[in-house]
Amino acid sequence: MSPAITHGAERLFDHGLDVVDGTLCLPADAKAAEVRAHIGNHALRFPLWLDGQSSLRDHLNASSHAPASSRFGPYGDNVLGMNWRLPSGELLRLGERVVKTTTGYDWLRFALHSGTRFGRAEDLVLRLRPACDFNGMARLDGSAQALQSCAQSLLHSPWLCWWDSVDWLHASGQCWLRVQWHGRATEAALFEEQLRHLAKIHGCSIALEGLPEAQLDGLPDLVLKTTPERVMALATQMAPHCRRTLAMLHHGLLHLDLGGNEACAMQAHEWAQSLAASLHELGGDWHSRWLPARAPDITESKWIQTLEAALHEA
Amino acid sequence: MNAADLARQLRALLPRGRVLTSAPQLAGYASDGLGFKAWLPDAVVIPADAQELAQFMRGAVALNLPVIMRGAGTSLSGGPVAAQGGVVVHTSGLRAIRHLEANGLWCEVECGVSLQELEQVLLPHGLFYPPDPSSGPVCTLGGNVASNAGGAHCFRYGVTSNYVLGVEALMLDGSLHRFGGPAGGRGPWREDWKRFMIGSEGTLAAFTRFWLRLLPLPEKIWTFRATFADLRATEAAIHALVAHPSAPAAIELLDPRAVAMVESSQMACGLPQGSFMLLVEIDGPAALVDGRVAEVAQLLRDAGSGDVQFSDEAAIRQRLWKARKAAGGLLGQLSPSYVVQDAVIPKRALAEVLQLVYDEADAAGIATVNIFHAGDGNLHPNFLFDARQPDQLEKVERISKRLMQRVVEVGGTLSGEHGIGNDKAAYMPMVFGIVGTRLQLAVAAAFNPAHQLNPLKVFEQRRFCA
Repeated sequence: MSPAITHGAERLFDHGLDVVDGTLCLPADAKAAEVRAHIGNHALRFPLWLDGQSSLRDHLNASSHAPASSRFGPYGDNVLGMNWRLPSGELLRLGERVVKTTTGYDWLRFALHSGTRFGRAEDLVLRLRPACDFNGMARLDGSAQALQSCAQSLLHSPWLCWWDSVDWLHASGQCWLRVQWHGRATEAALFEEQLRHLAKIHGCSIALEGLPEAQLDGLPDLVLKTTPERVMALATQMAPHCRRTLAMLHHGLLHLDLGGNEACAMQAHEWAQSLAASLHELGGDWHSRWLPARAPDITESKWIQTLEAALHEA
Repeated sequence: MNAADLARQLRALLPRGRVLTSAPQLAGYASDGLGFKAWLPDAVVIPADAQELAQFMRGAVALNLPVIMRGAGTSLSGGPVAAQGGVVVHTSGLRAIRHLEANGLWCEVECGVSLQELEQVLLPHGLFYPPDPSSGPVCTLGGNVASNAGGAHCFRYGVTSNYVLGVEALMLDGSLHRFGGPAGGRGPWREDWKRFMIGSEGTLAAFTRFWLRLLPLPEKIWTFRATFADLRATEAAIHALVAHPSAPAAIELLDPRAVAMVESSQMACGLPQGSFMLLVEIDGPAALVDGRVAEVAQLLRDAGSGDVQFSDEAAIRQRLWKARKAAGGLLGQLSPSYVVQDAVIPKRALAEVLQLVYDEADAAGIATVNIFHAGDGNLHPNFLFDARQPDQLEKVERISKRLMQRVVEVGGTLSGEHGIGNDKAAYMPMVFGIVGTRLQLAVAAAFNPAHQLNPLKVFEQRRFCA
């Protein structure tokens, strides 16, 4: 019988780009330009941006999803690891630098959007995706009914996994569907043809354009999570009261722009309170970067205290 | 407690379900897919439904015995077994697909539903649930969630955790909690507790039902099979495929030893001796993927394959998959025992780690074949041996330990999709230092402080003290 294996030192992630695996480790305060600079000429990209001027940390604090989550999943599926500063000051590695792991309990995804109660991300390991030479965007306009039926077709299309985002937007009194994709210019016509076809079937008008990069919608003030089949109705209900409303149809997520500053905290709080019960019933939730997380009940407090005890002991 | 008392108590907790206590009955639950390690449970219970499972859980603390949840028992890491004795809870009574919300791309299922049952229900709706472990025809969703199962197509589609929107969990205090739900958020909780539940290997709670995310079925699938004379060429193909915009759904590899095993069996399919075999699938809308076929075939040729076959016809695709599918079954025919490791490595370290597997196994006189998910860097070295020979088991353990040490050194991890079970629990200190281990154990302490649920799994320290 071989002797028991003893604990090694805590491992940490080193900054750097791995072009073979498509991973990049860099500070959590990095912004889009820094990520691009690290990637350089390698044909890779990190698709989950909401705002070009905000750091990755700000993104994670604002929402669990970005429009491109429609294709690539939430941040939790695209941040593979973190160097995590514990409340005790120690630095610890959560997650891995490889694309899949089931080694131990998933502290990475648990801590990623938990605010600062359990610690703070110092560095993130991002999963990068192959980059191509074309960003396409389609805007589909039509009656509410036409947009609703068109949205259903988009969500059930075999193209769903190839569109970066499928969103319903409302701003300045207008609502429309937006489909964005990232691919090769040589294949753009195929994407466009499919979207034109769907627009025609549902009686929507369509405008297509190529963009230098994906359209960014900014950090949301209030995020509501519901089911995909309910998100358009909820978006329609909220939209008249918001500066801009973005519904990510595939994941049932709603990003509300209430003004983009702390002054909107009161409004966010009021809506969060009024919608909480109906969201919770479906396993959904709300989140606002301007508001503290809700207080845990007795049961949850007990669980949290057990984790905190271990963190502080550390 | 003697056996008769235990049986009586269990029958009181499960008036409608089944209680198994005879040795021949228990023998069927003594091991999982890691067949050479066996522990006879004290009893097996099969609750009739979720209500009865809840009733059992409420009474379980008083039994003062370990409780081990078990689906089909196909796991490969020594997970759902009674390593410290106790009662195995078989979930075959919880097999309802409770709701399919096709418009919202989600469904609600009980934990004992098999992957195949779900697939058959989803097919007419043009939907599918992507995780596809090779035990798919029989494995249950409960086991899949418990071990965060993956499969051949998770290079693009991801693993179970990418598709679990919510988990309903029964705690040992009898309380029932829903973490998430069809909307996939936190629900009424401050924190996202389902993140700990997924992949927790039955150590935190008993799962009763899940809410799962679904996807539209791909319209077209093309399968490619290519053989390569050496690993350098195979690696070149893997790296090119990973970076290719066609985003293959699967990139699977058979090493020359696995090819030789297939070719010397009745499942032979004409693969060149000594070759590495890559199996690649691309899928999606027909208009898109059809246009990429020639390019992917050329990519494989450019990397050095002189033998690229591909098709979108079901029968031919099945033939191309034959070696990959047959390989798993053949392992059991070659030796009385085998163990499959599940390490994930950065892909740049593939040649080095594979060579280590060969060197260590050859030096110890242990046969090894490698059949794995190359796109993910998820190695599955299979070591074939005879567990009845004590020195052979020791050799395999020594090889596995050296392999895991190197895997961690190159930046990889112990398990990608099988879970830790008791097979890999001893290696956890390679990954987690003292502080990391304390944090990990705090999760178990929050939900199952006495380690009554599935003790001696994931971490060796998790021992149930009656």
